Amino acid sequence: MSGASFAPVPLQQDSDTVLLPERVADLTGLGELGVAGELVAAFIAAFFVGNLMLAMTGVAGPWAKRKITAAFTDRIAVNRIGPFGLFIIVADAVRLLSKELIIPENADRPAYDLAPIVVAGSAMLGFAVIPMGSGIQLADPEIGLAYVFAVSGIASVGLVMAGYSSSNKYSLLGGLRAVAQNIAYEIPLVVTGMSVVIFTGTLQLGGIVEAQTEPLITLGGFAIPAWYAFINPFAFGLFLVANFAEVGRNPFDTPEAPTEIVAGYQTEYSSVYFVLIYLGEFLHIFLGGAVIATLFLGGPAGPGPAALGIVWFLVKIWAVFLLTQWLRSALPRVRIDQMIEIGWKGMLVLSFANLVLTALIVGMIA
Amino acid sequence: MSTGLEPRRQVGVDVETTEEELEELIGDRALARDDHKNAPGFVIRPDEVQDVLFDLRDEAGFDHLSCLTAQEYADRYESIYHLKKYADPTQEVSIVVPTTSDEPTSQSAEPVFRTADWHEREAFDLVGIDYEGHPDPRRILLPETWQGHPLSLDYNQTKPQVVSLTEHANPIQPDQKGAESDTMFLNIGPHHPATHGVLHIKTVLDGETVADVEPDVGYLHRCEEQMCQSGTYRHQIMPYPDRWDYVSAGLLNEWAYARVAEDLADLEVPEYAQVIRTMGAELCRIASHMLALATFALDVYGDFTAIFQYGMRDREIVQDILEDLTGQRLMFNYFRLGGVAWDLPEPREEFFEKIRDLLDELPAKVAEYDDLLTGNEIFQVRCVDTGILEPEVAKQYGCTGPVARGSGIDYDLRRDDPYGYYENLEWDVVTEDGCDNYSRVLVRMQEVEQSAKIIEQCVDLLEDWPEDDREIQSNVPRTLKPEADTETYRAVEGAKGELGIYIRADGTDKPGRFKIRSPCFHNLSALPEMSEGEYIPDLIASLGSLDIVLGEVDR
Repeated sequence: MSGASFAPVPLQQDSDTVLLPERVADLTGLGELGVAGELVAAFIAAFFVGNLMLAMTGVAGPWAKRKITAAFTDRIAVNRIGPFGLFIIVADAVRLLSKELIIPENADRPAYDLAPIVVAGSAMLGFAVIPMGSGIQLADPEIGLAYVFAVSGIASVGLVMAGYSSSNKYSLLGGLRAVAQNIAYEIPLVVTGMSVVIFTGTLQLGGIVEAQTEPLITLGGFAIPAWYAFINPFAFGLFLVANFAEVGRNPFDTPEAPTEIVAGYQTEYSSVYFVLIYLGEFLHIFLGGAVIATLFLGGPAGPGPAALGIVWFLVKIWAVFLLTQWLRSALPRVRIDQMIEIGWKGMLVLSFANLVLTALIVGMIA
Repeated sequence: MSTGLEPRRQVGVDVETTEEELEELIGDRALARDDHKNAPGFVIRPDEVQDVLFDLRDEAGFDHLSCLTAQEYADRYESIYHLKKYADPTQEVSIVVPTTSDEPTSQSAEPVFRTADWHEREAFDLVGIDYEGHPDPRRILLPETWQGHPLSLDYNQTKPQVVSLTEHANPIQPDQKGAESDTMFLNIGPHHPATHGVLHIKTVLDGETVADVEPDVGYLHRCEEQMCQSGTYRHQIMPYPDRWDYVSAGLLNEWAYARVAEDLADLEVPEYAQVIRTMGAELCRIASHMLALATFALDVYGDFTAIFQYGMRDREIVQDILEDLTGQRLMFNYFRLGGVAWDLPEPREEFFEKIRDLLDELPAKVAEYDDLLTGNEIFQVRCVDTGILEPEVAKQYGCTGPVARGSGIDYDLRRDDPYGYYENLEWDVVTEDGCDNYSRVLVRMQEVEQSAKIIEQCVDLLEDWPEDDREIQSNVPRTLKPEADTETYRAVEGAKGELGIYIRADGTDKPGRFKIRSPCFHNLSALPEMSEGEYIPDLIASLGSLDIVLGEVDR
């Protein structure tokens, strides 16, 4: 970007990439208004990214999820309102927002009210540092990856809050299961993420994406990029599994487990609160997809001009979403004790083995 | 309380017990004989129930308390213990225990047969007999605050009873908090995604482990027995059985009534009608097992997954055929005493073609289920060695059907107490020795294949049946009035197990007493044995593997 009258001010000291807020500041001229202008520009950029994610969730929740599951289970699903039943999104939005908000008598009020916001908010925060291509990235701090893991981990707090404050035994069981599960799988998740960092030498997500742009090998004129999914497929698999457990999808959806504990931590939530919790779950799936895309699938990389980056990025996120729905239609749920066993006895050991091996290999080559 | 599992003496259960031996065994404890059409009956004193039943169980091998009927006469109450042998259900004996009208107290049979627990509670609830020594003498089907016993003679049938909220306390209400307690009380149901109807399971949890389970039934009690008692034999009762096990097992249920009424009134059924009955019943079994499979997958998978939908899809095909045959999709009302309502639909070729298509496609579908369901590692991890029901325990609770056969009990009334056309056909009784949830699924899947085998043979027979010999009903009098005090108990192999009916004729055209022996009622009573000490998900899976229908449990 070549500013005419001023040089762009990077949000990070040692980043060469131009981030979305700066671009907005440039385009609108807000940058000339000093700190206040930059603040407004940053807000506009965040508003854009946030709404992009919300729009995706809006499409995914009421419509895509139904259509995908229907395709797997030999049904048709929504097809009455609008083309392909797409306007069901509007109908559902109206329906969900107009539902009565029922709050249990013995609910622990501030916690009960805050939990949905914490669950949905924590996922939203994660998107702040994801490089989505086409210049869409709000910030690129040096501790980017650690930041993503940290903020998405806050969701666990929200789930516990929802679980105990609902004053419902099913909610409590669900909340406890959610914590047990998140602790058991957060560690393998982070440790496997670390193995990528060993390759790149940086936690900065922009840097991680950049490290994957080189072609790995060229086969018959077709260049296979150096995505870490190709370099270390083992870590990729581990990360995928840990991620499904982290976002509580099949076969690891024990915290909700509809047939066992009704709906787990969200049993007592209705109306807008219910929407927020559901929103949080979908955002977490998408955030999980975004992290997978960034760490292992080259982020926004893909054929065509760089401006198409955001398209490729969304395709990758949706591919992960599709995978979660596929698993949901095909796999039984593991029992909570088996789930914990897989986490502590299997995933943890494998992820550390992966980390040590990666370190050894990188150490010997480099 | 004795577990009742220790036999006093080892006996060869295969040995046939003759009537003389029975007389000798019971000896002078028998006050009189009260023979039923199906079995010899002995009248004994109400304080010798356990004594006689222990002897019959351990010395003569009558290890199956198939049913317990209670009824009130003008001058006495009566409990009838219908005993059978698992090894040979054609060997039956009825133990009749009369008690006085003033003080209807009889000794409990619970120490001998665990299944007497629920049965005696029901007898107390509906008829009003007290059982001395019963571990848990409460009502079972009606609310605790109900006044009177509906099937007793002095009960005012027309007086409405309003169970007000204050009187009929919400069972979920009591606060079970204890300062010292480290367990948690959890109400599963009556409204819960996995209870397959309105069932309430009182559960005590120790962490995620199930410490205590008590199924609380009766939410769907619709007075089925009394409704049958107020209908005439000839036409008015047949529609009711469809409504017991209402998930596509209709014809199997109808057969239970058809069999007992035909036995009571000595009616013949033409062979042609028997073949149609057999075919229709097995179609129902396939539909019912498909649903059982689908909902079990739903319980284990936790969502409406592909398996559930495939199960429903394949059941739909069977449902269409049954609709062609009977004109109805669920409440068939197709059987008549002495035959069936009408002949196969025209054009017959088209109908047979439909069935043959179903049979041709079935092996591929079963293979698909094997791939998706039973071959899935996670599914196996979830189901193998969970919900263990040892055969001896299963017998104690009177378990039958796929539940018993999944515990290795080789018991199937279609073969062991033949009726219809089964004995002329080639098929096998499926058993599995695993005793766990997985075995019960395997049994159902293999039974679908066996049913297909039976249907195929029936279709072969029906196709070649000479046109002038297609008699669908025998000559049955317009009004049936079996002789007063004729009593009989007959059972058929329903979708869930032994579905039996006891009828006492009182000389009118309506039954004096109509008692339904529901397989689900017995199977469900074994749930605590299967799930205590396991995790909540296993409890849910075990409940699913029992394949209960609350309409049949509560009647």
